[in-house]
Order: sequence, then structure tokens, then C-alpha cells
Amino acid sequence: MEKHRAKILVIDDDPDFVIAVTPILESALYDVVPASNPEEGKEKIFSEKPDLILLDIMMDSLFDGFSLCHAIKSSKDYKEFKDTPIIFVSAVKEMTGSRFQFNAQEQGMIGPDDYLDKPVKPGDLIARIEKLLKR
Amino acid sequence: MLEKKPVILVIDDEESMRDSCSQMLEKDGFLTDTAEDGSVGLEKIKEAKPDLVLIDLKMPGINGLVVLEKAKEIDSNIIVVVITGYATVESAVEAMKKGAYDFLPKPFTPDELRIIIRRGLERRKLILETESLRREKKLIEENFITMVSHQLRSPLVAILQYFEVILGGMAGEVQEKQKMMISRASARLEGLLNLINDWLDVARLNAGQIVDKLNPLSLKKVMKKLIEDMKPLIQDDNISLELGSCSGDDLVQGDKETLEQVFSNLITNAVRYNKPKGQILITIKEKKAFIAAEVKDTGIGIAKEHLPFIFDQFYRVKRGEDQKIKGTGLGLSIAKKIVEAHGGSIQVSSELGKGSIFTVLLPKAEKGNPHVLKFWDKKHLG
Repeated sequence: MEKHRAKILVIDDDPDFVIAVTPILESALYDVVPASNPEEGKEKIFSEKPDLILLDIMMDSLFDGFSLCHAIKSSKDYKEFKDTPIIFVSAVKEMTGSRFQFNAQEQGMIGPDDYLDKPVKPGDLIARIEKLLKR
Repeated sequence: MLEKKPVILVIDDEESMRDSCSQMLEKDGFLTDTAEDGSVGLEKIKEAKPDLVLIDLKMPGINGLVVLEKAKEIDSNIIVVVITGYATVESAVEAMKKGAYDFLPKPFTPDELRIIIRRGLERRKLILETESLRREKKLIEENFITMVSHQLRSPLVAILQYFEVILGGMAGEVQEKQKMMISRASARLEGLLNLINDWLDVARLNAGQIVDKLNPLSLKKVMKKLIEDMKPLIQDDNISLELGSCSGDDLVQGDKETLEQVFSNLITNAVRYNKPKGQILITIKEKKAFIAAEVKDTGIGIAKEHLPFIFDQFYRVKRGEDQKIKGTGLGLSIAKKIVEAHGGSIQVSSELGKGSIFTVLLPKAEKGNPHVLKFWDKKHLG
């Protein structure tokens, strides 16, 4: 009897982050699907139907993470996935980036379910994922 | 956005006019919409956001000139071409003054309409392109520090992430000695990250960005939150951290984020330079037009000769034996800049071997009148 393993989509343009975070997720028995840019991320949302998304904020442009998150949560195209939990992970420290983050939300964008600074602590990451998957 | 077919709205009370214009424009590959009077037209401008609108000046209901003005209020970049029934020069001039792009006297030929529309849409495209470039430039300027921060932090963060995984045993077994070395390497990198953060704060301060909005803020609340945050930090050394007497008002005119940074810095120092089982006492009291917040510790203290310099950038008190204490030498200078940007001041008194007292004076909140104060506004820096 095989238990369903939750599938996590990691959208990040830094290959080192993807390599480093993969064993953390695998150690907690999650399946990992990587995507190295927002476009690939979009495709994989449809083809892989992840249970949760780890999303980098700044990729090609300042707003990649925000716009993709907003699209998933609000656009008709992603209707099927609008309840998929999203965790932002960013190297821009919360304090340094918070004004910028706040602005994006002021502009009427829908934010993520959770936010983590890089580098992520393995235990913290797993705990937050478990909490969101339980919902 | 520019690939989209241009949308043209025709506002005219004459049905034949609306039909002939829209038929012709559709044939030319534009998307069209029509409105039989000004109020319907304005609704459609709000909803459909047309690129160009044709307005008949003489209509029942809202006057064409008023429609023109309102249309410009809705979208300042909208191209308006007015149609003047009885080709009076006055009304055309009046419309041009109010921001119409061009006018077309009735009757006109399809080609006359085409030429004006083509030119008008080109103008619209140019305006929108300039606008979006300007917006992009502004965005880059506004977020410059964030972008630099990202580029400086990313490589370090990637390395730290690898270390986390290795130390967590998720990349195979790690021997004690390897573990020790990687832990120490991590600590050094974290020190470097802190330095980058402090540097970026200095840059933000110099750019005058740090104190954007001042609002009434309860210092008591700020302190309570910080004391809660610091708990894990004081446990190891059995240091007590308490909020003591608070007399009178505690509302200051402040920016929450940066003031938290100031007091977090002062309390962290009080912990860092304290003795085992030491004490830290925070008090808040009214002092004329200011609120004074005091952070008092029973730590190692600061020698007299160093006191005048501790708020200087990169000034670090040299103490041979306790080299394990590492700071960036920027924390207090950042705190001072933030407090001064609030129109306040920061003072220190200290006795070597007994402890230090840092006092921050901040202007009281102005009831119901949040005002904006800029860092470079020197007259507030008293």
C-alpha cells in the first residue's frame, strides 16, 4: 500500500538553491519538481499538478514571483490551482525587502501563504510545508 | 499590450453617424464601440479603456466639451478627436484647448477620418511607450537597493544553504571535525551577510528613504514585542530583560520598522556586552515634548575615551580579551541616523565595569496629524 507522496514544485532561477533544497524535501518524503524560470514553472503547474509551490521572488525581473503568485491565486487560467499553497523564498532579507513587498500588496496583488528567508532552516521549511499541506 | 488591436469609441447621438464610422473602422481592423450620448460614453471609457474616442460636440445631454474633459480625467493619455457639426472655429479651438488631439468638421470623407485616426493612434502608442519606460525606470530607481541587496546576498545565501543541508546530515554522514569547520564557516558567512545588511541600511539612510511615514506609535508595544523576540538570546547567559516603569504617555511620532531596528540594536548590545546573570532594564517616560526611552544594562561598560566616538561609522571599541564579540561597527551609527531622522536624539552614559545607559528621545505623537518628515529636513534634527 503506497501512501500518496506530496509533490513540491520549486521555481527558482538559482540552480544551487534547487540542488540544496531538494535533499531537504526528499528527506521529508516529498517528491520534488524543479523549474528554473517562471515560464517553466507555469508549464509544470499544469503538467505536474503540484501540491505546494516554493517560489523565488526575484528572477528575471523584480516582480516575477509576485506576478506569478497573483496570477495563480486570481486568474481564470489557474482556476484549478488557485488553492495550491505558495511559499515565497527569497534572498532579499525580510527587513530589507519589506517595503518593496508591502508595496506590491498595496498595488492589489495577492500575496503568498507563507514567506521564508534564504537560507532556509531544514526543520523550519518542513514544518511550514506540513502546516500548509494539512489545510 | 501594443500588439492588441486599438479600440475606438464613437460617441454621437446620430445613429447613422455611429454606424458609418464604426463600420468603416471595423473594416480597417480596429475594434469599435459606440455610445449614443455623453454619459453612456463616459461609462464605456471607464470599462473598455479605448485608445481613441470620437466625440460629437453637439449632443443632447452632457455637452461634448464636458465629455472631453471627463474623458481626459479618466485616462489622461486618451486621444480625443472631436466632430464639429457646424464647423465653427470657436468650438474647435475650445476643444483643442481642453486637450482634444484634433477636430473633424462635418461632413467628412472616410479618408479624412482615416488619416486623423491613424495619426492619433500613433501618438497614443508613443505616449504609452514613453510612459511604460518611465515607469520601469522609476521602479528600478525605487528598488535599486533591493536589487543590489539581492545580487550581493544571493551567492552567500546559496553557500549557506548547502552548509545547512550538509550539517543537517542530508548529504551523507559528517564527521565531528568537518561539522565544526562547516559551522564556523557558516558563522563567518553570516557575519558577512550582516555586514551587507548594515551597509545597505546606511545606503538607504543616505538616500533618505528610511523614514517615509511617521505615525503615532506606542513605544511600550514596541518594547514588549522586542523583549519577546530576544528571549532565546538571553536564556543562555541567564540575563534578565524587563520593561520597568512607564510613566505618562508612550506614543511617539515614529516609523515602526526603523524604530524597532533602533531598539533591537540597543537591546542586542545590552545583551552582548552584559555579564552572566546581568540585568537589562527598559523604562519609558514623558519629557516635555518628547518621550524618553532608556535601555540600562549591568554590562562591561564603555571607557570614557571611547564614548564620544561610539556613534561613528565603523568605530569599534577594542577589547583584547573578548574578541568573540563581533559587530560590524555600523549598528549604533545607523540607530543614531534613524533617531535623528525622527527629529529625536540619542545619548549614552557609561561607567567601565558597571554598565551603560542609552537614552533615546523621540517627539511625542501629534494627535490626529500624522506628518511626513524627511531625513534631509535639517531643521528637525536639533
